[in-house]
Amino acid sequence: MTKPIYIHGSGCVSVQPTFEAGYFFDHVTSYTQNPVPALDPDYKAFIPALQLRRMNKSMRMAIFASRMAMQQAGITTVDAIITGSGLGCLRDSERFVEALRTDEGSLLNPTPFIQSTHNMAAAALALSLGCKGYNMTYVNNANSFESALLDAMIYLTEHPAATILLGGVDELGERTTQFWDLANYLKRDDATIPTPLIEQATPGEIATEGATFFVASQEPGDHTFGKIRAVETRLEVDAPEIFISGFLQRNGIEAETLDAVVLGYNGDSRYDEIYRTLGSSLFANLPQIAFKHVVGEYDTVVAAALFLALGIFQHQHVPQRLLLNHSGIPPILRRILIYTQRRGQNHSVILVEK
Amino acid sequence: MTPIVPIAVTGMGAISAIGNNVTENFRSLVDSKHGIAPIRQLDTWHRERLLAGEIHMDNAELYDRLQLSREAAYTRSTLLALMATKEAIETAAFKPGDGYRTGLISATTVGGMDATERYYDDYLVSEKNRSFIQTHPCGYAAEQMGKYFGVSDFITTISTACSSAANAIMLGARMIRAGQLDRVLVGGTDCLSRFTINGFNSLMIYTDGHCKPFDENRNGLNLGEAAAYLVLEAPEVARKRMKSPIAYLTGYGNANDAFHQTASSDNGEGAYLAMRRALEVSGLNPRDIDYVNAHGTATPNNDLAEGNALLRIYGSASAIPPFSSTKAFTGHTLAAAGAIEAVFSILALQHQVVFPNLNFSQPIASLGIVPQTALTEQRIDHVLSNSFGFGGNCSTLLFSKDHD
Repeated sequence: MTKPIYIHGSGCVSVQPTFEAGYFFDHVTSYTQNPVPALDPDYKAFIPALQLRRMNKSMRMAIFASRMAMQQAGITTVDAIITGSGLGCLRDSERFVEALRTDEGSLLNPTPFIQSTHNMAAAALALSLGCKGYNMTYVNNANSFESALLDAMIYLTEHPAATILLGGVDELGERTTQFWDLANYLKRDDATIPTPLIEQATPGEIATEGATFFVASQEPGDHTFGKIRAVETRLEVDAPEIFISGFLQRNGIEAETLDAVVLGYNGDSRYDEIYRTLGSSLFANLPQIAFKHVVGEYDTVVAAALFLALGIFQHQHVPQRLLLNHSGIPPILRRILIYTQRRGQNHSVILVEK
Repeated sequence: MTPIVPIAVTGMGAISAIGNNVTENFRSLVDSKHGIAPIRQLDTWHRERLLAGEIHMDNAELYDRLQLSREAAYTRSTLLALMATKEAIETAAFKPGDGYRTGLISATTVGGMDATERYYDDYLVSEKNRSFIQTHPCGYAAEQMGKYFGVSDFITTISTACSSAANAIMLGARMIRAGQLDRVLVGGTDCLSRFTINGFNSLMIYTDGHCKPFDENRNGLNLGEAAAYLVLEAPEVARKRMKSPIAYLTGYGNANDAFHQTASSDNGEGAYLAMRRALEVSGLNPRDIDYVNAHGTATPNNDLAEGNALLRIYGSASAIPPFSSTKAFTGHTLAAAGAIEAVFSILALQHQVVFPNLNFSQPIASLGIVPQTALTEQRIDHVLSNSFGFGGNCSTLLFSKDHD
């Protein structure tokens, strides 16, 4: 079986200024649009201007978030890079499809094709860090980051001395967003961030983008923020409560010993009921925390929930804007469960401890 | 490093331009019958102009063979994957839901791009094909496969360009070793698409004729479409259900070349590291390998890098065991390549033959290495299979006949 992994640094690019020093969701940027692009940090701080110009947003966000995580962990090299991305480099994919639909037969610019492949963020990281180690990219819809996390846990069990980069990245595409809208995934009316939840929820998601990366190893260190004990995913479940209690049982934990739960409420009235049911049963007596209503929805957004959980351990404080109920917050926060799903599928649970 | 407990391979399935199942693929390999021809099915400007390895069944026929409702949206990569996986499950003779924790790890780079590129403007104006919108993400195929076969304990998808399937096979073995699964379906699928044909053509690495792996005058690849899946099991699970393995997965290695977005380093650093790691994991020496099923795409860059990496592993051209690239049979099948070539590697072990490297006439001057050009019967205990991709992703698998 796999052993817990320790997180020594994290970096997050999102629609909130999560990349700013000391930021911890105490103020939240509001939007009234859908989709919402991620805020651009000063990429030049980590990426030379010439290279930056050639990089698509996935590559930029991934490198920036990774470098933040590495800086925080006080390291300059890693042994392996494991990433997840539900949709890969969408904008370059769209650009290449559009080029071939109009100009097939003439010489097409290969750059968007090269940069369209799903592994390009992990490849850009390997290239920029000169990392010749294990390199993987998972493209498992809304469980892409969880697959990367599981691989990271297996990899570190196999290589106990290694330090790795683990992360998730997804970018918005223009045409693809139109497609999601046609497929009725997206919120059309009153699309706002922070997104109203529970009684005020309406159908649809707010499409966003972002990248969150972590430095992980199997040993605690000076900068350790917390550890990940276990992760599990299921494409479909009959009852989330049974899936989650099974997970807790497999890890020898009672729900009452959790200090808080982070839930994937995104304000889509068609699916948020899943969390509500859990909130009044399995998690009834626990502080319940939401995050997607401030960072939006994309396939690897659960990595931002992990960033948040580690932040809660560090600050020993739950940002008021993210707290859903008034259950007493324990004086010391040291064990958090993250549960999310998307459109009734891709369920996942992650157990995080201080 | 202690060698790993070998993982049992108990079944396999394949569909490619040289056959709709494993037996047909083997027959074509033995008869030196390649599947590369002018593009006839795919709706592209390059139709009749470029040569590719197409599977001669249209989607309608695949729907019928799989008894799928025409109302449901399945893209071609998924249809091919279902065909190959069905054969793999049948040969492994198990029923999903038999109490063993069974997973599915699939690989693809094309995903539902063939539908997206076809309906790109149509989706906006007509409701007719909108059920295909959901098929675009790469992860969708594996989810449909899981539902079709009733495999639900673990499902994921890997996309690391042309090394994707090798990585899916590797993860499957690692998950069994880590005690996460008892059994896992692993492999990859990619159909032909305008996206990939135009992509490789725009990079000017698509040959105007038949690809010539490891030849001095090679000038690019032919693409092909394929799907192939293996059933991996913990050896004790295979034993308990009295299923004798058809081969063992004894080694795997993954490395990154960290050199360039698309090009491999001339000295084949990533390829070298992947092979070295696979050998380390297996506890085998380079001289234990009896056959190398090379990546050998026939691009000037890949074959030079891979050849150099082989020379670094073996020290000299004469020390390299018989090797061949089977890409001239099937075309380069991208995310499926590592899986279709895993099937060919296992066939080499089962039948004790080295498959020929077609279209070869002149060795690469700077390397002086010569692939096997005719079907050769010989003793084969261990086969090494390489898969390398854009982004520097390099992976190597090692299959063995006996695990003692």
